[in-house]
Amino acid sequence: MKTLSCLIGLTALAAVGAADARADRLRIVTTTSDLAAIARAVAGDAADVRSVCTGREDPHFIAAKPSFIMQARDADLWIRIGLELEIGWEQPILDGSRNTRIRVGGKGHLDASEGLLLLDVPQTAVTRAMGDVHPMGNPHYWLDPLNGRRIAGVIAQRLAQLAPDRAAVFARNAAAFQQALDERMFGAALVKAVGAETLWTQAQDGTLAAFLATGEGGAQAAGWVKAMQPLRDQKIVTYHKSWIYLANRFGLTVVAELEPKPGVPPTAAHLEEVAEIARADGAKIILQEPFYSDKAARRVAAQTGARVVVVANAVGGQPEATDYLALMDLIVRRLTE
Amino acid sequence: MKSFWLPIFCSALALAACGSLAADEPAVTNLLTEIRTLRARLESLEKQVADMKTKQTAAVAAPLSAPAGALADTRRSIQSLNPDVSVIVDTFYHADNSKEGISHVTGEMAGFGHTHADGEHHHHGVEDGFNLRHLELQFSADVDPYFKGSAIAAVDLEGAELEEAVIETTCLPWGFKVKGGKFFSDFGYINAQHSHQWDFTDRPLIHQLALGDHGLNDKGLQVSWLAPTPFYLLAGVEGFQGDNENMFAYHGESPLSTREGPRVGVGWLKFGPNLPGRHGLQLGLFSGLGRHQEEHDGDGDGTADHWLDGMSRFWGGDVVYKYDAPRPCGAGDFICQAEYFGRCKDLELAGHDLAPELVGNSRVDKQDGYYVQAVYGFLPRWRAGLRWEQVGLINQSDLPDGTSESYGSSYRAGPMLDFTLSEFSRIRLQANRGSYKTNEGTEDVTEVFIQWMISLGTHGAHKF
Repeated sequence: MKTLSCLIGLTALAAVGAADARADRLRIVTTTSDLAAIARAVAGDAADVRSVCTGREDPHFIAAKPSFIMQARDADLWIRIGLELEIGWEQPILDGSRNTRIRVGGKGHLDASEGLLLLDVPQTAVTRAMGDVHPMGNPHYWLDPLNGRRIAGVIAQRLAQLAPDRAAVFARNAAAFQQALDERMFGAALVKAVGAETLWTQAQDGTLAAFLATGEGGAQAAGWVKAMQPLRDQKIVTYHKSWIYLANRFGLTVVAELEPKPGVPPTAAHLEEVAEIARADGAKIILQEPFYSDKAARRVAAQTGARVVVVANAVGGQPEATDYLALMDLIVRRLTE
Repeated sequence: MKSFWLPIFCSALALAACGSLAADEPAVTNLLTEIRTLRARLESLEKQVADMKTKQTAAVAAPLSAPAGALADTRRSIQSLNPDVSVIVDTFYHADNSKEGISHVTGEMAGFGHTHADGEHHHHGVEDGFNLRHLELQFSADVDPYFKGSAIAAVDLEGAELEEAVIETTCLPWGFKVKGGKFFSDFGYINAQHSHQWDFTDRPLIHQLALGDHGLNDKGLQVSWLAPTPFYLLAGVEGFQGDNENMFAYHGESPLSTREGPRVGVGWLKFGPNLPGRHGLQLGLFSGLGRHQEEHDGDGDGTADHWLDGMSRFWGGDVVYKYDAPRPCGAGDFICQAEYFGRCKDLELAGHDLAPELVGNSRVDKQDGYYVQAVYGFLPRWRAGLRWEQVGLINQSDLPDGTSESYGSSYRAGPMLDFTLSEFSRIRLQANRGSYKTNEGTEDVTEVFIQWMISLGTHGAHKF
């Protein structure tokens, strides 16, 4: 009985302590480190941002451990990638947290995939015989800088709803993030001369490459588009179907994956096939995340002479990827070095 | 009365209207023309709406303005209105080297004997050869903004059993949740898990012996509270009707007393420190108390001849540690879990046809046991595990005739190897080597399981 009352006393003390620590900063919990990085850029000092994934692990496989439930319990806003990326662990965390603010459909639950440009949305019936296919589209969308830009906008909007008094700050921060991203993407001079809106429209409708080939565009272009220009129209092989947004944005073609089906580890027979395709198509790069073993990639590389590029696909996945822009910098550098 | 006359009145009116229309043909022609005009207008309006929609979609596709949910996938929204439906098929092959089968051995274990005379209850005892444990049919969904519901039926060859039917709140403030219906008690770690979630094919021995084939699963109500502490602290209390064949049985027929439900109360605490990085830890304490009655057939003539009535208690602790490695498909993941469970049945002899002089004397049974298991993902999709179990460290009965008996302890140990082909199918090989203290002496048994499980449909993610 004595121990029980001690325990209750301690609990009450701790509760008071926890309440004290809650200043008027918003508490944001994101499922992935990329969302956290963008949320940090948008919220600035107005929020504490935490992420369930660190960027170093495969986000499909996470254990819903008690400390994640703790983070969710106190969250004002929960941001997820959606498209069933977190299907294996999000619900137990949300349910376990008993936090009514962040339940799906609530103001404090934001699915960052809403209103983005999605690829790989199956047009025919999906069965699980196809492997781990996401029926609502490929969830690795944050690797398209245009989507990164939009996520910032979506987060700013939602934060403005949660803290209307600071709406202007969030809008300003988001705009600053977007401008920095535009300049890294196209080069500051080109953004100034042509305008970000025009450039992104061109990037979307496929006329950007032609524009950059002209004297006017080519001379002022810098940043990721300039660096990636030599890779345009190149064929690449990836481990998982996690790079198609990047490939789509910079005009690369993914001709094969090392996984025979999404989520199924490579098999010897399939790697033979991949090597065949890579040779036939002249694929020069095999691209994969650090959390996969690179044995399969090395094997195909040895047969085809392609270069293996192991690079983080999430903020925090490698030491250099400190935030969203640094992540894209790193990916571009590794692909082009 | 009113509602009876209303349809008749309406029909009469309609008939009258028809009659007057037929009589007045020019009016019909006029009406027809009007309908045609209206139809033409409707078509033109429909076309305008369609045009506007196309324009809107084009506007949405403009890259910089994030479309305000206009692209919302209709499939997504429709799907989310249906309950998640899943089917899990859990089937295995079993072989052992005991004469009468492992179910007989565990059924005869000293100190853990049967608590009822007749075989009315349906048993899942394993057979040598092919076994279909069950097919688990699950429906779950948010009911409305306030509740979440799920129903799980376990179907096997003898029929269907309602495994769980749960309503739980999703709207309570301050970390509270109320759950009601029929459900697994959340005490400890493995009791609330369904068999397909276990890392070994069979239930831990102490749970099997103390609580039976279904664990502690009953009709009841649970209130739990997530404390606002800087670490994870979840406390729960449960009230159950009292319907567990081994520990909380109720017969209620003379000479046993009549007791209205709820007859069982359970309380538990779960504590999770904030470990850094990929480490997860959860510690638990639990206790339960309830009414218990037994019927026994002492002379083996098929009818009960003595009856016990009193209270049962249980208590114990559990610990689970998980290391969640960054590699995909479970490679490098490590899980270690252990539970201790002790029980005491404090009963009184309520009636005895063969030895009436003993009626009123007490019988106290104290038994306990634990298991420790570890599972490691040594390759993507491949896991290997070991389990060690012991029961009867305390294994004592104080009998109504004033004597006491100690039965000694039994152990079981075994390795496990499983291959998870995808998130929806798993094949497992498991062996058990046990030394069991039964009423007939010590029996050593070796068992082998080859288990195959598949999951169809949308099955919710599992808890830590």
